[in-house]
Amino acid sequence: MAEKIDDELLVEQFRRGDETAFERIVKQYSADVAVLANRLLGWPSDIEDVTQDIFLAAFVGLKKFRCECSLKSWLFTITINKCRTNRYKRWLRLRRFSQEIYKVSLSSACEEKYMDTDEFKHVRRAVAALPPRYREPVVLRYIQEIGTDEISRILGISKNTLNVRLSRARKRLREDLAELIEL
Amino acid sequence: MTEDKIKNLLQQADKAAGRIAPVEVNVSAIRRRAGRKNMIMMVAPLASAAVIMLALSILSMMFRTTEPTMEHRKIALLETQIKQLQARTDAALSLIQEVLDQERRQSRLNELQAQLASIPDPLEEVRKQVDKTAFFLVYQADRLYRELNQTDSAVENYNRVIELFPENRWAKVARQRLTEIENRKI
Repeated sequence: MAEKIDDELLVEQFRRGDETAFERIVKQYSADVAVLANRLLGWPSDIEDVTQDIFLAAFVGLKKFRCECSLKSWLFTITINKCRTNRYKRWLRLRRFSQEIYKVSLSSACEEKYMDTDEFKHVRRAVAALPPRYREPVVLRYIQEIGTDEISRILGISKNTLNVRLSRARKRLREDLAELIEL
Repeated sequence: MTEDKIKNLLQQADKAAGRIAPVEVNVSAIRRRAGRKNMIMMVAPLASAAVIMLALSILSMMFRTTEPTMEHRKIALLETQIKQLQARTDAALSLIQEVLDQERRQSRLNELQAQLASIPDPLEEVRKQVDKTAFFLVYQADRLYRELNQTDSAVENYNRVIELFPENRWAKVARQRLTEIENRKI
């Protein structure tokens, strides 16, 4: 509750033209946003540009923020949208040079299979390979440990839909990570 | 059970990926980019409107100054043909109108002739009336002579018929009666 009041104060200050308010918002939430973006994009570690884009979108839209949810949830919604855009752009880039990429990825994948001794790498790859509609709930629920109510608000879906997606995502992960789960 | 296992596995995998390096968000760069974005949002519609206006004016000038193209010639030819067709149509229409008027006049004339034919000949009528009057006078004279024995009055009537209608058949009858009366007196 106190967090929400702080958020409202910060937003109000920003609306009145206090330039330091946005800096405080960035300071307060940039780490969380970056961690979530990193997880949603498949742990690439290089997420500075995405984070910058996320906070640019927040800066543009902050005056329209109505404080119906927490500022953190709102920033997470922006993060999810930006990550989707980022992944789509990356996919387009990859498709443009599909043939070359196919050759490279094939050889590197074979190599990785031999060298991949870290089972967690396999887990992360399985999560990253999930379609966005399953990956996002999985990351938010099991890694970020956010409640289902808030997740459904962030993703803009009903609780039932969220549960269905989580169940399907678990099924896929069970299939992909059968050996690791049985251990 | 499986859900917990998956959760643990995912969290361990996330931890194993290691912490990401602290991200430096450049607020002043964000402000600059936002300002640029705002300016683009404001200027873009104006610029596109200006470009459209410019393109339209160039196009209109091109249309004004260019030589008549093949299409223009075709259009002019088509227009001439349309005018000719229009003139032909007008002529045909006026001819049709004329023929219709003539037909109407002819039918009116026939109608009038029929009406005229139905009117009785006045000369014949007069002749009939004359005949009727002469007959009536002879008939009266006959009655005076034969039924009332007024021979003088009867002779007067017979003479009137002969005087008034000398060519009529009843004048002939009147003469016979007068001859008859003369013969009787003798």
